[in-house]
Amino acid sequence: MKGIRQALRQSLAVKVILSTVLLSLSVILLAGSALNSRLSDGIRSVSLTSAIAESRFTFFNAQYQMLLSQGETLEERRQIIADLVLSATTKGVNEAQREMIFLKAPNGNKSAISFEMSSSMIKVSSVPAELRTKVQENTELQYQYGIASYTSGVKGNSLFVGERINIPGGGRYEMYLVFSLKSQTATLDLVRNSLFLTGLALLVLITMITWLVLRQVVRPVRDAARIATQFTKGDFSQRMKITSQDEISTLAHSYNEMAYSIEQQISRLENLSRVQQRFVSDVTHELRTPLTTLRMASEVIYNQRESFDPFVSRSSELLAAQIDRFEKLLEDLLEVSRFDAEVAVLEAVNIDVIALVNRCVRDFGPGENHNNALINVVCKDSSIHIRADVRRVERIMRNLLANALDHADGKEVVVTIVTTETEVAIGVRDYGSGLDESALIRVFDRFWRADPSRARFRGGTGLGLSIALEDARLHNGELDAWGRPNKGAHFVLTLPLIAGSSIQARPISITPKDFHQESFYL
Amino acid sequence: MTLVMVVDDDQDLAEMLGIVLTGSGFDVDLVNRGDEVLEVFRNNPPDLVLLDVMLPGIDGIEVCRLIRLESMVPIVMLSAKGETQDIVRGLEAGADDYIQKPFRDKAELIARIRTRLRRTNADVVGILAIGDLSIDVTAHEVHRGTTLIQLTRLEFDLLVALAKDPGRVFTRDALLSEVWGYRHSTDTRLVNVHVQRLRSKVEHEPENPEIVMTVRGVGYKAGGPA
Repeated sequence: MKGIRQALRQSLAVKVILSTVLLSLSVILLAGSALNSRLSDGIRSVSLTSAIAESRFTFFNAQYQMLLSQGETLEERRQIIADLVLSATTKGVNEAQREMIFLKAPNGNKSAISFEMSSSMIKVSSVPAELRTKVQENTELQYQYGIASYTSGVKGNSLFVGERINIPGGGRYEMYLVFSLKSQTATLDLVRNSLFLTGLALLVLITMITWLVLRQVVRPVRDAARIATQFTKGDFSQRMKITSQDEISTLAHSYNEMAYSIEQQISRLENLSRVQQRFVSDVTHELRTPLTTLRMASEVIYNQRESFDPFVSRSSELLAAQIDRFEKLLEDLLEVSRFDAEVAVLEAVNIDVIALVNRCVRDFGPGENHNNALINVVCKDSSIHIRADVRRVERIMRNLLANALDHADGKEVVVTIVTTETEVAIGVRDYGSGLDESALIRVFDRFWRADPSRARFRGGTGLGLSIALEDARLHNGELDAWGRPNKGAHFVLTLPLIAGSSIQARPISITPKDFHQESFYL
Repeated sequence: MTLVMVVDDDQDLAEMLGIVLTGSGFDVDLVNRGDEVLEVFRNNPPDLVLLDVMLPGIDGIEVCRLIRLESMVPIVMLSAKGETQDIVRGLEAGADDYIQKPFRDKAELIARIRTRLRRTNADVVGILAIGDLSIDVTAHEVHRGTTLIQLTRLEFDLLVALAKDPGRVFTRDALLSEVWGYRHSTDTRLVNVHVQRLRSKVEHEPENPEIVMTVRGVGYKAGGPA
């Protein structure tokens, strides 16, 4: 049932064919049964009329013979009755089978002599009692349908016709003619069967015709749907075939025009973005060689700074620091251009997340150049093994930690690590200046800074968080941000245990546990 | 004095490299074109070649292949392209190590060069056996029966590292630190490519190795003696 409903909803052809079949079926049933009842009524009334006419003639003849036989001997009269019975009874197989019964009326006949007689095949008892009463009470001819029993044991639907007969000097008798309805039933069956078969054939034909017609309409529609699906999947060369001049071909024409236009647009955009990415990548590469020379030269100078006067010495320090910053920016730009060109490759290996986090935290440990902020790592497990790109995960962690420390205002930074069976989450929480709603939306944007006037301790490039987000997504993971002004910020990295499989849940909710909505608004 | 050949099309960078290397006590030969390398190389064989990938004339990867045809000298590729395929192609052509431009600092460059010039297994002496090979550590030679097998210094070091501790499984990180001198792991492709190259020289069937065995999910170990 469910399957049918689904097929109905999904296929236009099934829907149309099914409704056509149901409608034609009801029409055929109606017409068939009307035809059937008209035909049966007709056949019955024709045979009834002829049976009554025959009976009338037989009964009249019998009565007439009886009247003529007055005065004859008993034996002769019996012989006359026997002849009557014999002539009324048919022996032919093809003719409607006819039997005769001649009975003495139970009342109004006091004669001791019995002229009762019947044709040999029929059982006398099969005359319906109701009919007998009617015959006894009326002088008119009476008839009734009933079941006749034959001496052979066979029973069959029959028409009983009876009339009162007076035998002069012999009292009242009843004469019955029994017409077998066997051939009539056979005719009716034949009519019914023919009607049924015709109806069935009609139904099958209608179904086939509907299907043929439908196919002409549905096939182009199906083709169009298939082509549209392939188009959606990225095969922009797909076009509909145009074979005729009908409405379908109009559809195909407009569809093909649309497809052509989309293909053009896409290839134009692809080309543009390819040129753009190529340019960025080339520029970055070209910058690397001079940067290498610069770096080495500045290092040689920097190493000699003690022999210079203070201005030159300080200049050499600034030069070295800015070359570092420039290089970092270049690296980040190159990475961003790889993401944009979709050529970033994930090199997943087995790593211990906890060891990785601890390593990163150690590198940001106290004694570094600012903010003696403390980083606390909270985790129940001693090791969590996942399959991920170690370089990228490390880069995410460094970016998150650097970002947290930059905004922590000297307060502690808490790193939480929680794992489930399918994913691991790392939360980095600070209690510093925080972020407001508008900042949260833009926090992953390239070159966006929460507070442009803020000192940049870490010399971040402004690309860190956006690269971190791309790195997380390359693992099929997520990076979420939360923040409230002066209540700090919370960044949660959720990674699948096996890079590439999807994350099912968020083991660390983005709203930190130590933040309470109510107290914030009080 | 140790002679380092610096091949880079960027004259300023080559000169700067020259200054830094001379400052660290090396002799330096500067070459700017790929098609000039072999001539200079034959006239004055260096102890190490520092080779840029992008070169006019013949590109660095091809130069690397040509040098390997006649010498087992250590080759360190310089690459401005960080892309995977360039590094792997360079290593497959016979480079022992690579450094990406721009280098972290000159100390990194010098350290890499020193590692490649140093005997990494100075503590091992005598003859080691691995599979049906005999390794004469002192003479720096590998024989199968009476046949001498030509290995680069790095391939030799890799083989000795595995053979001196038979049965021990080396992770790729361990090999990186032991053979290449990296303090923490950077790129395990370095190990993979060199193991492939070593196998192609020492194994009967490189697809079915008996000398340098892979331990799935861990790393490599030496095969037992034949």
